[in-house]
Amino acid sequence: MGNATHRCLALVLLAGTLVFGPQAAQAHPHVWITSTSELIYAPDGSITGVRHAWTFDDMFSTYALQGIESKTKGVYSHEELAPLAQTNVESLKEFGYFTFAKADGKKQKFIEPVDYFLDYKDGLLILHFTLPLQTPVKSKELALEVFDPTFFVDFKLADKDPVKLVGAPAACQVSFQRPNDGAASAQKLGEQNFISGDNSNFGAMFANKIMVACP
Amino acid sequence: MRLRSLRKWRPSLAHGLAIGVMAVAAVLLLDGLMHVLTAQTPFGGPRPSAEPQVGGIVGWLLAKQSEFYREISSTIRVAKSDGSAVWTLLAISFAYGIFHAAGPGHGKAVISSYLVANQETARRGVVLSFASALTQSLVAVVIVAIGALMLNATAKAMCGAEKTIEIASYALIAAFGARLVWTKGGGFMRALQGSRPALAMVAATHHHDHHNDDHVHDEHCGHAHGPEPSELAGPGGWRRGFGAIFAVGLRPCSGAILVLVFALAQGLFWAGIAATFVMGIGTAITVAAIAVMAVSARDVARRLSGAKEGGGALFMRGVEFAAAGLVLLFGVGLLFGYLTAERVTCF
Repeated sequence: MGNATHRCLALVLLAGTLVFGPQAAQAHPHVWITSTSELIYAPDGSITGVRHAWTFDDMFSTYALQGIESKTKGVYSHEELAPLAQTNVESLKEFGYFTFAKADGKKQKFIEPVDYFLDYKDGLLILHFTLPLQTPVKSKELALEVFDPTFFVDFKLADKDPVKLVGAPAACQVSFQRPNDGAASAQKLGEQNFISGDNSNFGAMFANKIMVACP
Repeated sequence: MRLRSLRKWRPSLAHGLAIGVMAVAAVLLLDGLMHVLTAQTPFGGPRPSAEPQVGGIVGWLLAKQSEFYREISSTIRVAKSDGSAVWTLLAISFAYGIFHAAGPGHGKAVISSYLVANQETARRGVVLSFASALTQSLVAVVIVAIGALMLNATAKAMCGAEKTIEIASYALIAAFGARLVWTKGGGFMRALQGSRPALAMVAATHHHDHHNDDHVHDEHCGHAHGPEPSELAGPGGWRRGFGAIFAVGLRPCSGAILVLVFALAQGLFWAGIAATFVMGIGTAITVAAIAVMAVSARDVARRLSGAKEGGGALFMRGVEFAAAGLVLLFGVGLLFGYLTAERVTCF
């Protein structure tokens, strides 16, 4: 009978192996981005958009520069990188710019990025772009998440000053959580409905969460 | 394997057990598929258990994989000045390959399903796993050699090529799955209709029917016998296997392409190529291990259910049919973007 149990396990393994693969397939980072974000406010205290600066990792930066001509080897001007920046923001559209915002619990829409350009510094590409909200919004609680639900891209908030408020009312307080903060996981339990409603997804556990409270 | 002893079991017990286990397996499969399918969009279908597991095996695989992958770029940089770092690079690439395949990739799911569906042996499973992983490496090297080295194409252009190849690969998997479903569906339907004599007849006819793969192999049934290795390697045997290799292996790993382009930019293209193939070997080991598990589990299922009744044969035809269906499902799912995680992302 012990044998039988063993063989049962084998059968379950058959199913398991066929199942486990595709599920874990969602875990697949190939690009690492270190992100800093500025939240832009209008004089009336409503938030108008987000200005991101995303630093790509070494390998991806080199990959992205493949075939891009420059006058001086190893130095790339904004103009030389302009077509690449264009490609970047155009492709990011499909992924919702990996930026998800909620104002007082209501999902906010972004429109196409403006003021985008690429910097090349110390072998790394930095993508700057401003993501305007479709409608500027005044809210007591603003929540912003930066992450890739499919986890092809691994987002990380910069170690130093990852979030800045620009022109926000003085009373507004900003805080943020990194995905591997114990606090973030604990928070998630209570906040499952945060961005994705009940439709939590794999990448969500790697989300970087920025919160602004304006009493 | 001491499986003979199982034959002494009362068929009803073995059969009941097999059916019970199959029910569990079916639930697991369905659950897994739901997860795969509902993960399609950031705000896609409902997921009942909203708290995904960060830790556990998946989390660990993920952490390891990321760790190795990130070390690859720094090691290539070091290798520019210190040749001995190439050995480190190969070691890391090998480890990355092993962990990489344990996490992502439809490849092993498709290959395992195919092996189960098509009554392949474990040995062939290993060969197919290695062949498909090395094909993947080769395709990556060819893309970068032609795209970056010869044409100095941009990343965008190469990524575009990658996307096209990817779609072709998914279409092939779907077509391959459809063909498997067609042939295995035939076997299943016959097993469904047939009583034992009918099955025996079908099985017997297969001696005259070597080019047709919808015959019923069942060692427990009449004069039928299990597939001989030589027979599998014959017409339709290896050719079908190569179909699987080609369909799966055609799609290169984005990671390999990144590594290759990076190595090329550092003037160490050859090291990138070596790393890519070592990565492929690592991947193959994991895929082969999973494939062998799948094949062994299927064989155990066959022995458990086989006993002496037609029901056992029906059960196995059902398993094969379901596995064939999975291949088709993976192909279609990948092709139409339900499994977005497996899409090439071009920035």
